[in-house]
Amino acid sequence: MKTKNIITTILIIAGIMSFSACSKDKNIDKEKPVIDISIQDAFPINCDTLYFGESYTLKIRFTDNAELGTYSIEIHHNFEHHSHSTDVEECEHDPEKEPVNPWVFIQDYEIPAGLTEHVTDITLSLPSDCCGEYDEGDYHFFISLTDAEGWSAQKGLSVKIMKR
Amino acid sequence: MKFIFNSFNVRKIILLLISINLLHCVSFGQSIYELEGLVVDENNQPLSGATIILFPGEKATTTGFQGNFTISGLEQGTYRIEISFIGYKPLQDTVTMNGNTTYRAQLSLSPLTLHEVVISDNYSEERKKEEPLNIEIVNDRYLRQNLGGSVMQSLERLPGLSTIDIGPGQSKPVIRGLGFNRVVVLENDIRHEGQQWGADHGLEIDQYAVGRVEVVKGPASILYGSDAIGGVIDLQTNHIPAENTVGGSVDISGKSNNDFGGGSVMLYARKHALHANLRVTLLGFADYRVPADSIDIYSYRAALDRRRMRNTAGNEQSVNLSVGYLGTKFRSRLFISDLNGKTGFFANAHGLEPRNVDTGLHDASNRDINMPYHYVNHLKIINQSRLDLEKVTVEAGLGFQRNFIQEWSRYIAHGYMPAAFPGNTGYSADLEREFKKYIYSGNLKIRYDRNDRSEFDFGLNSEFHDNRIGGWAFIIPAYKQFTIGGFALGKYSFSQKSILQAAVRYDYGHIRTAEYRDWYPSPVINESDTAYEHLQRAAEINRDFSSVSWSVGYNYNPGKWSFKANLGKSFRMPIAKELAANGVNYHTFSYEVGDAGLSPEVAWQLDAGAEYGAEKLALGLTPFVNYFRNYIYLNPTAQHDRLYGNGNQVFNYTQARVFRYGFEVHAHYQLIKPLQLGLVIEYVYSEQLSGEKKGFTLPFAPPASGIVNIRYLKPKVGFLRNAYVSLDYRVTATQKHIVPPEEVTKGYQVVNLGLGADIRMKDQNISLSVQVQNLLNNKYYNHTSYYRLLNVPEPGLNLIIHVSVPFGDRGLNHKGTQRNAQRNTMDYTDNQFLRAPLWFREN
Repeated sequence: MKTKNIITTILIIAGIMSFSACSKDKNIDKEKPVIDISIQDAFPINCDTLYFGESYTLKIRFTDNAELGTYSIEIHHNFEHHSHSTDVEECEHDPEKEPVNPWVFIQDYEIPAGLTEHVTDITLSLPSDCCGEYDEGDYHFFISLTDAEGWSAQKGLSVKIMKR
Repeated sequence: MKFIFNSFNVRKIILLLISINLLHCVSFGQSIYELEGLVVDENNQPLSGATIILFPGEKATTTGFQGNFTISGLEQGTYRIEISFIGYKPLQDTVTMNGNTTYRAQLSLSPLTLHEVVISDNYSEERKKEEPLNIEIVNDRYLRQNLGGSVMQSLERLPGLSTIDIGPGQSKPVIRGLGFNRVVVLENDIRHEGQQWGADHGLEIDQYAVGRVEVVKGPASILYGSDAIGGVIDLQTNHIPAENTVGGSVDISGKSNNDFGGGSVMLYARKHALHANLRVTLLGFADYRVPADSIDIYSYRAALDRRRMRNTAGNEQSVNLSVGYLGTKFRSRLFISDLNGKTGFFANAHGLEPRNVDTGLHDASNRDINMPYHYVNHLKIINQSRLDLEKVTVEAGLGFQRNFIQEWSRYIAHGYMPAAFPGNTGYSADLEREFKKYIYSGNLKIRYDRNDRSEFDFGLNSEFHDNRIGGWAFIIPAYKQFTIGGFALGKYSFSQKSILQAAVRYDYGHIRTAEYRDWYPSPVINESDTAYEHLQRAAEINRDFSSVSWSVGYNYNPGKWSFKANLGKSFRMPIAKELAANGVNYHTFSYEVGDAGLSPEVAWQLDAGAEYGAEKLALGLTPFVNYFRNYIYLNPTAQHDRLYGNGNQVFNYTQARVFRYGFEVHAHYQLIKPLQLGLVIEYVYSEQLSGEKKGFTLPFAPPASGIVNIRYLKPKVGFLRNAYVSLDYRVTATQKHIVPPEEVTKGYQVVNLGLGADIRMKDQNISLSVQVQNLLNNKYYNHTSYYRLLNVPEPGLNLIIHVSVPFGDRGLNHKGTQRNAQRNTMDYTDNQFLRAPLWFREN
């Protein structure tokens, strides 16, 4: 009988411990930020074509429940079709080819502190390609966004970069 | 290596053993006596198949049909006799041999214990009662019945244990939520050292060779130094054969989910004091199946071919050799093992971002291994020796290991790497990373049994690591590391029931990481000039660490109950990756940066345990509370990397105060004689109390889970022995405590079925075990799987069959009673030999 009591006590303690642990959920940010390219005039969107020597204004909407962090834009060649968009829509690709001198762009950008919504307004200037310096063809346009807490979201777009 | 194994065939070993033995006989010619005996149960019925072992000398036999046994070749003197039989309490006594002697033993039924399989000796129980930390002990029978993709997965069912997996065959042990470099894995008392920090490869240990596993749940830094802050997994391989036997076994296993086929052949021989084991294992598997047609890697969807995880096939080959001398006062063993493995990574999720793959290449066969894959070779040479003197025991261990890991992946230029891989770098364009690590270990332990009440242990452990790197991608620099630690432990028994233990340890460590510069130039803009430089990714770091650790523990074992408590301070040195990482993690598409100024982790932990064992009920509760002053944590930041990576998110190593607590409940209840009900509950809570992630948990926090088990176990059914049917119903709670980049993992329920038996054939027991894992083919996610981050579900229904066929085992001296010394005998002898730390050995 004594034994039984002790066992019951142990089980009750264990139960209380687990219950109290579960119910104590701190008020911490558990939401990821969102990359939205469905806004009006969003640029670029999947399957867009960009041209060397021209400048574009990037229009991408970022939102977060608490506070946005930073974002990065990265553009690299996709001549061997290694990457494709995170969008369902598939773009038409040029035939696979070996890179000779593909264009690379890596840049990170700050978002003013304390924002929960931000629409980019940065200018992307592609180098002029007067003399056939860079390879044209399929490129991958990769956007990475964080919030202040370190949650992140990614979006990959297929674009073409051509000579006008 | 090959040369050694080819030239040592079994016949030569046996000849060698016999010839040495003859010399032994000549030099020790004394009066030889015989011990005859009888073993009966409570009703005076003879027990056939009971195991008898005499110490010193580890002479073993089993009883015949009339419960009788004979052990001959005994010199004059006093021997300790231990008699055990499954389901009965083991008996210990002393026998004095002044002439031929007879002995009668009566065994009584044993109470229920918390062991998942019947272990015929009482070593495990004694060990649990003397160790103030909570431990779990299992034998090879348990491992066979719960065979998983790796030795760690086979242990996953134990309370408080889980694994961090990458695919079905690669796992790292996790004890109460702590893993990687916070858990020490010992193989034959020497620390197994590979690249523990990496989740992308498992432990380089042949799971068929593992005979006994002891898991210490809680900080064991006192005995093993830095890294044992979360616990220890102590593996013993290669049983010592019973005296004068020669034989072997064949193990074959198959798994349906990944078309796994594996086989292991073991040969052994022992002539008096000399013994040898040889084991060769080969296994291979195809891409594993998941109950899904596609995988959503972040926001990118990868279609699967026939529901198989593309390119996760693999294979492994290993050879284990041990030779030893087992004398009455001195014993020594040499272990040599060499393991090769090659396993593919899920092809869509390796690199800088989720990738398109050439489905024509990757889906052509589900057995081929294309890039990305990893290759590992682990060579290990260990010597263990022990000298038993009157009141002092000395143990020494020496180890050499070479761990060689390569990760092969197509060259992907990122940062300012050239678009096409240049030919003058000295390595292949496809060699992403290479690690070559040389590890030298030395241990010395001395035990002094002052009297019946008190004993003292002194120990010294030291290791030297030399880690070299290669490949085109950088994550950690080359480094050299030296550690040395010494401890003193005292144990005082107030009575047989009440034992106090206290220990103190000092550790010193030095690490020197090498400078690393990029092999390619990057543009550096200096006002108006742009210069191209080979950037420094890691500066040389020289750090010294030292720490004093201590622990105090108490065990109280009144009758059916046993209680324990332990309070201790432990520490862990930061590793090279935490100090100096600076590169892309291609498995998580993240950029990881170390901090050269990290301080060693210091933790305090209070452990308690209560266990009850009666005839029908066994119950255990093991709670713990743990506080880290400065837990080293890889913190996801809001920043992006520009110069070296691909615009990946930056993760920084940082330190935070962490509070953890949890418990395990383990219970067995005998419903009716052959039917047993089991319950395992495990729970861990952890919270960061400071730093940028204050309020968050730690990564890969295991969710609360429980297993309800029904087991039907019969020692004898017709020609079957130890027949069992076991049904596990596992319920895992939703894990809501997450930290970036994790996602909430929904709770799940899984049913696993196991059945098996030993089949008596001639003199041998063929053991067969069958498991059906995920019987209902549920689709669920495992929060502690590395592939969880990529939204990869766990494997679907998996049928696992394992057959173990022993052969030989004949006594070399043609004594009837020496025949068929069974596996249990070997278990037992093994337990007596150079197990874990000597200070825990029962006397």
